[in-house]
Amino acid sequence: MFKPLITRFLQHLTNQNNWARPHLLSFAGKVIQFNFSVANTSVLILEDGSLSAAGDTAVADATVHIPPSLAMRLLAKDETAKSYIKIDGDTHLAAEVSKVLQLMRWDIEEDLSRVVGDIGAYKIGEITQKTLAEIKQQGANAVDMVSEYWQEEKNILAKKRHVEQFNQDVDTLRNDVERLKKRLEKTHATLSQTDTTQQVKPNAKPAQESTEK
Amino acid sequence: MDINKDSTTHFGYKTIAEHEKQQKVSEVFHSVAQNYDVMNDVMSAGMHRLWKRFALDTSGVKAGDKVLDIAGGSGDLSKLFAKKVGPTGEVILTDINASMLGVGRDRMLDAGLTVPAMQCNAEQLPFADHTFDCVIVAFGLRNMTHKDLALAEMQRVLKVGGRLLVLEFSKVWQPLEKLYDIYSFKLLPLMGKLIAKDADSYQYLAESIRMHPDQETLKQMMLDAGFGKVDYYNLSAGVVALHKGYKT
Repeated sequence: MFKPLITRFLQHLTNQNNWARPHLLSFAGKVIQFNFSVANTSVLILEDGSLSAAGDTAVADATVHIPPSLAMRLLAKDETAKSYIKIDGDTHLAAEVSKVLQLMRWDIEEDLSRVVGDIGAYKIGEITQKTLAEIKQQGANAVDMVSEYWQEEKNILAKKRHVEQFNQDVDTLRNDVERLKKRLEKTHATLSQTDTTQQVKPNAKPAQESTEK
Repeated sequence: MDINKDSTTHFGYKTIAEHEKQQKVSEVFHSVAQNYDVMNDVMSAGMHRLWKRFALDTSGVKAGDKVLDIAGGSGDLSKLFAKKVGPTGEVILTDINASMLGVGRDRMLDAGLTVPAMQCNAEQLPFADHTFDCVIVAFGLRNMTHKDLALAEMQRVLKVGGRLLVLEFSKVWQPLEKLYDIYSFKLLPLMGKLIAKDADSYQYLAESIRMHPDQETLKQMMLDAGFGKVDYYNLSAGVVALHKGYKT
């Protein structure tokens, strides 16, 4: 039931982003699977450079593993999260398709304009963008407030500078311990050498005595 | 495969001589031709349009491509493909049944589309090797006497890299089987009687669906016919399956 709908959306997306077709054409017939831990979805690259849901028995040529926590970071446009994506199989295919999919944009205003007209679609788009930006801002404010309360009032969370100071202290301590260890090893080596010298001398004396006799 | 008068085949649940099947299937479609689309809409609650649209979406057909529509009947898929291939491409509508082909041809003309319509047997396609980018057979393979021969012919006329799409009724998801049986053997003939005034043809439809190979068997048949890669989609819990085979 969902595959026809997913395919319809993917085709619509490819039509809106025609620039993507030449990039995808060289991978026609290949299947890429996106593994979100809780769910999987496979996408087939078609012979016209568009995308569709892959068949029930399709074997993936490449698999992109994106755990839910990473997906959230990617959605929040955290660039560092990309380095944690794990890829199996044809890495060139996975990298190219992932790049194309990230650059694709759903022009929702264009779709809405067919229903409510250009002005209506523009206004709805503008209001939606403002609302989303406001929600994002309010969300960030709420997170800041809660973390500040936990840091200042409840002492549940450590402050960033305290954590950094703690890390620095741990580093210093580790270096000091390493230095101490080296010194102890050196002292131990010196002591061992001294012991050996002292043990050799008493053995030499009786030998001399027996010769004198 | 031997085609002689002693060989038998299925016509629904009946076993008949092979040479009789084509005539009997032909009678069924002569009978339902005029009400075909209305009945399709009623029987599938309009879902057949979604299934056909999905077949088009997954075909990968682009402007300038050559497409062969086998058992195209009333021409709804030819119409969709003709729009997709544009004026530089070509779609050929074929059917073994003259009545169905007539309905399809008239509909193409009414839509202002110049799609060649050709009456031919899918087991002996009158086209050269490596001619088409895509071949589609929607709800037609089930009625063919020698499915293996038909599939081999479809593979022959495809270009290397070409695709065969087989949209056909298939094996429904097991928990729904009883409900589907009631629908097929009680409701379907009743609807056929009331709307198309032809209960027997729709009884045949229900029986022929049960006799048709399931998803995995058809996939294997396509591989045996020479397709390099075959994959399928279950649609509406397996009521229908879309098989896609690549000529490699």
